[in-house]
Amino acid sequence: MPCLADSCERWPIMAKKPAAKNPPLQAQDKLTFLLSLVPYLMDHDRVSVEEAAQHFGMPEEQIREAVRLIGVSGIPGETAQYQHEDLFDISWDDLEENDQIVLTHRVAIDDSPRFSAREAAALIAGLQYLSALPEHADRTAIATLMAKLSRGASAIPSQVTVEASASDDTLALIRDSVEGGVQLEFDYLNSRGESERRRVDPLRIESLDADWYLRAWCHLREAVRTFRLDRISNPVVTAEPITHGAADVKLPDSLFESSKDDLIVTIDVAVTAAPLLADYIPDGAVTVEHDGRLRTSVRVSHYHGLKRLIASMPGVAIVLDPPDAREAVREWATAGAARYN
Amino acid sequence: MSAAQARVPVEERLFSLVLALLATEAGLTKNEILSTVQGYRQRYSTSGDNANLDRQFERDKDDIRELGVPLETLESPGQVGNNQSLRYRIPRGEYELPSDITFSPEETTLLNLAAMVWREGSISAESRRAILKLRSLGVVTDEPMLGYAPRLRVRDAAFEPLSAALDKHVIVRFGYLKPGESEARVRTIAPIALIQHQGRWLLHGEDQDAAATRNFLLRRIVTPITTTNQKFPPFDPSATETAKAELEEVWMAHSALITVEPGSDAATRLQKRRGTITDGERMTLHYSDFNLLADELAGYGPEVLVESPQDLRDAVLGRLLRTVADHG
Repeated sequence: MPCLADSCERWPIMAKKPAAKNPPLQAQDKLTFLLSLVPYLMDHDRVSVEEAAQHFGMPEEQIREAVRLIGVSGIPGETAQYQHEDLFDISWDDLEENDQIVLTHRVAIDDSPRFSAREAAALIAGLQYLSALPEHADRTAIATLMAKLSRGASAIPSQVTVEASASDDTLALIRDSVEGGVQLEFDYLNSRGESERRRVDPLRIESLDADWYLRAWCHLREAVRTFRLDRISNPVVTAEPITHGAADVKLPDSLFESSKDDLIVTIDVAVTAAPLLADYIPDGAVTVEHDGRLRTSVRVSHYHGLKRLIASMPGVAIVLDPPDAREAVREWATAGAARYN
Repeated sequence: MSAAQARVPVEERLFSLVLALLATEAGLTKNEILSTVQGYRQRYSTSGDNANLDRQFERDKDDIRELGVPLETLESPGQVGNNQSLRYRIPRGEYELPSDITFSPEETTLLNLAAMVWREGSISAESRRAILKLRSLGVVTDEPMLGYAPRLRVRDAAFEPLSAALDKHVIVRFGYLKPGESEARVRTIAPIALIQHQGRWLLHGEDQDAAATRNFLLRRIVTPITTTNQKFPPFDPSATETAKAELEEVWMAHSALITVEPGSDAATRLQKRRGTITDGERMTLHYSDFNLLADELAGYGPEVLVESPQDLRDAVLGRLLRTVADHG
């Protein structure tokens, strides 16, 4: 699908609120965490709450809560009365006074749990997607890892599978430039059709399905910009040292940013195709359903991306308003059709 | 029973149930569980009706099994068919990650990245749980020099119900609109695999009416998925590999010749499309779905001229004219 991107300039697609870093845990997640935390604590005679929180990527309070629960949990035991020896125990003084976790008695659990069939499948499919990255040129290593996940699952992993994303030589050069701490230079064609030579300090590689992006400090614009890898040509690793490293720049969580200059376009789209446009529909857009179609609005920064998007969804998505947006789409398609005369 | 006693958090009840069932060799009867395990015992009535608690236990069993915990049901010897005497347990060997499975720091870093790919739907929750289990092993990872933020979307409404059906090995039914047909036709399918091909999700499954395997683009499914309770024996995982190989064959077997406007978006991007052969302004593209390629090429407007095959030429022109008419 063509993107509505104003390319290197700015992302014209509205941002969905980024997912919270620590979404609230459901009971199943909490159970998984408890079953995972116990073996970790068994392997560590003493560990600080801070270190455990970092290791599991969880807030410290959640770790304390889990440890307190483990400390009073156990098995019914012979008396079916949860006697002291049937329970886990921790050093409560260490926890409450020093914020340290020391497991002093354990029951029932000896080892880490297996992955579920679906958990293993999620990781395997993720690995398949990433297997085209230059880091993973060693295919046997990936295959070994997938086999381990399969064997470590409680049942045959669910059959969810992803084709390796196309490998782009630019990725390898970006990596070289980051490793060498030097700038990368390339020709960049934005969606308005303008090509310019850019010099950048690469910060992060992002992707969305089959599309790959480079987020980088652009020396021409003196700001952070997002580049589609498939619009980059003639990339060269320069000898010029970078001025902005990943640690110096705070990247917004969302790949796409909206702006007050964005244009709002009313469209009519088949209900079944609406999810494809979800990223472009601003929060609070008025959406009306009629006869299997939706009337809603999308936010774009200019019509160059819009005309491509609409022309790739013939009969499925139609621009209603404003008239110059309709006209931009009509002209684009007319020019396309004229080539067949 | 006081109110304070009744308020045992869900995770405490589930955790206590797992611990109790891991600790028993012979298994526990339902009655033993309900009357002694933390979170149930507080609500257990020795004289009265425990139907609510019973239903709670049934739901908890499903929740626990969903996490990959092998909760087993055993029939007591000599009492086959007697539901009251069924015993429950979690066999340690099938619960624990085999001790010879270890992950290096590099592998762990890669798995963290693989989990990050999923940011929506239940597959995202599953990958998060997988990572918790992985971290349980205590492997410390390094931050990679170049950060990655990969993401795969699962926007098709059919994805969730199909992946659940895939897991339960049950037949599904849905309306499918084939391009060129004016009405959706109901298909009855045994799901074999969900495959992401060229950025789009496909269901590979056995069509029960045609008695043959077929691929269905999720975005062409136009009705909600009806999940039946009709089970089928699981397909061998090699069926997924076969399906992928066939898709690749179809991709390689189909090619189109186009001319692109030099220096245009089409010239830059189509050149990087997988398998494209570029000869000046001429390009040979591979494809697996005729209609998807026609949509894609129509989006490039005047930047692309399809030379061959003729039916693709006609299809792209037809689409452009349709867009002109819709915006006239």
